[in-house]
Amino acid sequence: MQNRISLPALIVLAIIAIALPLIPYQLHVSTYVVQMFMQAVTYAIAVLGMVVVLGYTGQINLAQAAFFGLGAYGVALGTVSGGINFWISLALGVGAATVAGLALGLTTLRLGGHYLAMITISFQQIFDLILVNWVEVTHGPDGIAGIGRPSLFGWELADDKAYLLLCTIVLYLLVFAVWYLPSTRLGRAMRSVRENELAAEVVGVHTLRTKVIAFALSALLGAIGGALYAGGFAYISPDNFNFARSVEFLTATLLGGAQSPFGGVIGTVLIVQLPEWLKHLPESLRFIKDVYLAVYGLGVILIMVFLYEGIWGLIKNLRAKFVKSQAKTDVSGVQPLVLDVQGSGDSALLRLENLQKHFGGLKAVDGIDIDVQRGTVHALIGPNGSGKTTSLNVVSGIYRPTGGKVILDGEDVSQLKPHQRAGRGVGRTFQNIRLFASLSALENVMVGAQRDNNPIPKGDKALRDRAMSALHFVGMADRAHVIVRNLPYGHQRLVEIARVLAGHPKLLLLDEPAAGLNQTEKMEFVELLKRLRGHGLTIFLIDHDMGLVEKVSDRITVLNFGRKIAEGAPAEVLRNPDVIAAYLGTAGETNAAA
Amino acid sequence: MQFITENLQILFTGLGLGSIYALVALGFVLIIRATNVVNFAQGDFAMLGGYAMVLFFTGLGWPYWIAFIGALLAMAVFGVLFNYGVYYPLRHRSFLPVLISTLGASIFLQNTVLYVAGPQPKPLDKLLNFDGITLGGVFLDSQYIVILVATVALVFFTFLFFEKTLLGKKLQATSQDKDMARLLGIPVALMIAITFIYSAVLGGIAGVLVGPILFVSIGMGSIIALKAFAATIIGGFGDVKGAIVGGLLLGVIESLAAQHISVPYKDAYAFLALFLFLLFRPQGIFGEKVSEKA
Amino acid sequence: MRRYARFAAAALAAALAVCAHAQDTVKIGLVNEATGPNAEAGVYTHNGAKLALEEINAAGGVLGKKLELKLEDNQSTNPGTVLAFSKLFGEGGIVSIIGPIRSTQIQAASPTVAKAGIPTMIGGTDPSLTKVNNRWVFRARPNDSYSSRVIADFGVNTLKKQKWAIIHSTDAFGSGGMNALTTALKALGVTPVLVQGYTNNSQDFTPVVLAIKKSGADVIGSYMTNSPDVGIFAKQLRQLGVTAEWVGSPSVVTDTAMKLAGPALHGVYGIADFTPDATAESKAYAKKYRDTYKLDPDVYSSWAYDALRVLALAINTAKSTDPEAIRKAIVGIKGWKGVEGTYNFDENGDGLRGYNVVKNEAGKVAFIKHIDFKD
Repeated sequence: MQNRISLPALIVLAIIAIALPLIPYQLHVSTYVVQMFMQAVTYAIAVLGMVVVLGYTGQINLAQAAFFGLGAYGVALGTVSGGINFWISLALGVGAATVAGLALGLTTLRLGGHYLAMITISFQQIFDLILVNWVEVTHGPDGIAGIGRPSLFGWELADDKAYLLLCTIVLYLLVFAVWYLPSTRLGRAMRSVRENELAAEVVGVHTLRTKVIAFALSALLGAIGGALYAGGFAYISPDNFNFARSVEFLTATLLGGAQSPFGGVIGTVLIVQLPEWLKHLPESLRFIKDVYLAVYGLGVILIMVFLYEGIWGLIKNLRAKFVKSQAKTDVSGVQPLVLDVQGSGDSALLRLENLQKHFGGLKAVDGIDIDVQRGTVHALIGPNGSGKTTSLNVVSGIYRPTGGKVILDGEDVSQLKPHQRAGRGVGRTFQNIRLFASLSALENVMVGAQRDNNPIPKGDKALRDRAMSALHFVGMADRAHVIVRNLPYGHQRLVEIARVLAGHPKLLLLDEPAAGLNQTEKMEFVELLKRLRGHGLTIFLIDHDMGLVEKVSDRITVLNFGRKIAEGAPAEVLRNPDVIAAYLGTAGETNAAA
Repeated sequence: MQFITENLQILFTGLGLGSIYALVALGFVLIIRATNVVNFAQGDFAMLGGYAMVLFFTGLGWPYWIAFIGALLAMAVFGVLFNYGVYYPLRHRSFLPVLISTLGASIFLQNTVLYVAGPQPKPLDKLLNFDGITLGGVFLDSQYIVILVATVALVFFTFLFFEKTLLGKKLQATSQDKDMARLLGIPVALMIAITFIYSAVLGGIAGVLVGPILFVSIGMGSIIALKAFAATIIGGFGDVKGAIVGGLLLGVIESLAAQHISVPYKDAYAFLALFLFLLFRPQGIFGEKVSEKA
Repeated sequence: MRRYARFAAAALAAALAVCAHAQDTVKIGLVNEATGPNAEAGVYTHNGAKLALEEINAAGGVLGKKLELKLEDNQSTNPGTVLAFSKLFGEGGIVSIIGPIRSTQIQAASPTVAKAGIPTMIGGTDPSLTKVNNRWVFRARPNDSYSSRVIADFGVNTLKKQKWAIIHSTDAFGSGGMNALTTALKALGVTPVLVQGYTNNSQDFTPVVLAIKKSGADVIGSYMTNSPDVGIFAKQLRQLGVTAEWVGSPSVVTDTAMKLAGPALHGVYGIADFTPDATAESKAYAKKYRDTYKLDPDVYSSWAYDALRVLALAINTAKSTDPEAIRKAIVGIKGWKGVEGTYNFDENGDGLRGYNVVKNEAGKVAFIKHIDFKD
């Protein structure tokens, strides 16, 4: 559980949190200090958005200042030009930003990484150009002055200190919400996308929707920050919301620690305050002030190299050193795993009809027909490059077939996305384990359990119970709270299987599940497979280890050059001369596809 | 008639601007291919090249060509520093930390130069001794002609280098599959360092060539780099010919749109074109669709 | 002996300036662009103010105390300016402030200034700045309604040109100037044949130049913000064979712009509130500035030089640092000869009402004439 905070830490945090907004009331501080606070608080809200999109979901966003600006211009145009109530203006601005965030998020449909960086920069630049040039609406580079402040329940917030208090309270509420987010269904989905997007999709996470929501949330938070900023400073102009500001938000997020709202707040305070502190340097060090922005750039590189999790990450790691967390988890009271599957009329659970997958001129899978019978273990074997993994990828939806059909339980699923197939009960593991490395074993398995249509009760408790049962089934329940990155290879393999099982699969696809296991582990694994078959699960697997395949399979299909060359019971197939020839390499040694 | 001359004039400057984008985009693409990382400091390579030229030529009074070679050597050294300072420590991490690190490098470089050289933009002499020629009512700026020729020459050189020399082939192998290259005994780290050097030198050439037209200033590279990046995406991510065609196309689109639609929104057209491409042809002009392998 | 005493006092003042906090001084704030994209101008502004500071203090300071400049960087941004102002006001003891030269920054800070009620000298030329119910803003430069009137007057009455093309940057300065120039031309019975905006930091002006060509304009009036834009535009204008006269806002005759554009700007008229060889005062200042900084003086330094001297004069006249008294003294300044011209402050706080017209003659700025308005 990454979100657990010890009681003393909580108390310290609470004291600081309550004391901070009261400082302006207690001490006699200048307007300047109040304004610095106001800047830090409103920026921090925008940075929380970056925490969600960058820290949790792992998507780059270089347009946060534009969302911040949409919120600010919403309030400014609403109250000054439109004469509308502050809160309605705020809602309009935030709404517009959220829609923009949704739209930007949708571009991640086909594009990730660098494209996203470019898309968000473009959005930022166009936004900037519009603010400056569309004078009739935005008032152009002059900006908008005389922005009013709201009243709340008849309480006028015209006073700087009162308004700052309001902003601070909003910040606290949002920090809490963002802090709580990772342990929700959505939060886990976001983090799984960050850790391994492909695995998340295959396990049943609607990755596109998750990314779009992350962007929309980021835009929403940015706009709230911007709206409050506009009210706080009573004047805004385009240069508050340019690319440089977006980079500043990004830097604040990274400096503080992208994966925690506390980190974001710390980072913001530092970024806002740093130029101030530099002004107090002694004369001999004054040159640092002149090169402040250069140092800031250097700082970004250094954070990336030495402090990737930011300051909050540093604090967390220090705490982890001193506070021993219990590695073992209490496993009493874990319910046994239910894996029963309701059967329908058709006896073949999975049917591949003339399945083809071509890459350009290369026919990796060249028209194969396979029926996988309900409740059986069906193995797919063949030499390297014979099209096994490609077939499995077509079945789980990572590739769309070039031709032919994938029929699951009587339904044609050929055109469905991986998460949709997962929602229909297709589960798979990967040859090179794809877990969500920085999540705990339990969280990994919970992501598996939260697929669509999983026949378990609603709510977090049910998910957790299901995940614990799955972990218990593979013998990993006592390690539920260990971050999977720290588990040995064999255990990671088991967690990956538990993740699939928690999703209650109708069809289990195993991609070389025994690869990398030692002899003992392999023996245990064979036992596990037999137990699974005993539960009536249908398994379709690929492996190189003939001994293992022979031991566990009811039926074997052999591929070579993308075509089926033999099929039948293990003993019979393994004696087939064509199969022996294919394996001995007389049929050719070139690799068709990896 | 006037309409035709006008549009030819626009086309010429569009191609001139476009070849600047193309030149910077070429540097982008080489680094993308070698490291799978977008270098956000690519524009600042051009800025540094421009300032090096100003220092050697205007400041120290070296002859033009000596100063030019000096600037390129300085950029080569800088390429090494950049590789080891910004990329190398992060080479095993995902693209995001590297991307952000190059963004930091960009801020660092701009402000360091600002501190050292001051904020005034600097003029730079043209390569040729005449301003340009007028052909049928269309003025051809000599420096734009130089840039067009240089871009074609550099693209040709890059092509020969990668396709015909052993070093070029090793670089290609590295960019295609680092593990395989390593198994074949190719020093991968060195190959990547060479890529950075080459890319920095290309950037430097762009800076020296652009200087006489846009002047040498702190921000000269930023907007060019953004457009160049857009050009690489429009052309096809990581594709050399795509970068060139994308760059030229972008320059022409931008100039034509500025002429026929609205001048103040000139910078927006490039990004708008990019949006349209990303929506309807995200793999770009020459790119192929690739999916992640399981 | 007396001379020695004065020298010693100056040396002492210089020595104490380092640890000036403990010293009883009259503090004047300077909000300028020390960092950020406009840091160029910020340096010059500081130079000019420093020169005035040394002179004033050498002459005995104000009210018998040394004058002290408190610098506050606004990072060349609007929010930075607001923060810089509130910081200075918040520190207390600031008698008066010299604000920035950019109109938008002043617009941003104007409510803060009004709230603090402390006299502030500004260099921004947007006419509205002194007219927005802010009694505390005073301008040490002529505002844009005069710059545009001078451009229009010179072009129409001296150069005898009627077909105007107005080229302007779309930022606040450029758009404001364009509006004022259009109005000023209308007053002279001229409607421009072309009004064309562009966004700052354009790499190419071909479409703009072609539009000018097509319009058949015989004179160009310009409000351009950045020197590189002026340079690129000037070069392309002449390359594409446009020979029209050009009367521009001060940016066409800045040192940097003339260096960048070279011969392309030769023969262009610009208006300048500061011209080194316009008057005896400006000549003396130019010499001093060159001797001190080895740089050519320009408006960024001269306005700050005048602004600080106006403030010192007002404080000495008022015999008090009370804001109301200072305000009264500033508004009372009539016929005072600064380096930018002769100051006659009105109730709004505008001190100057005219500009010099200068010409770029083969890379040197030549003074042509001074045009002043009464209203």
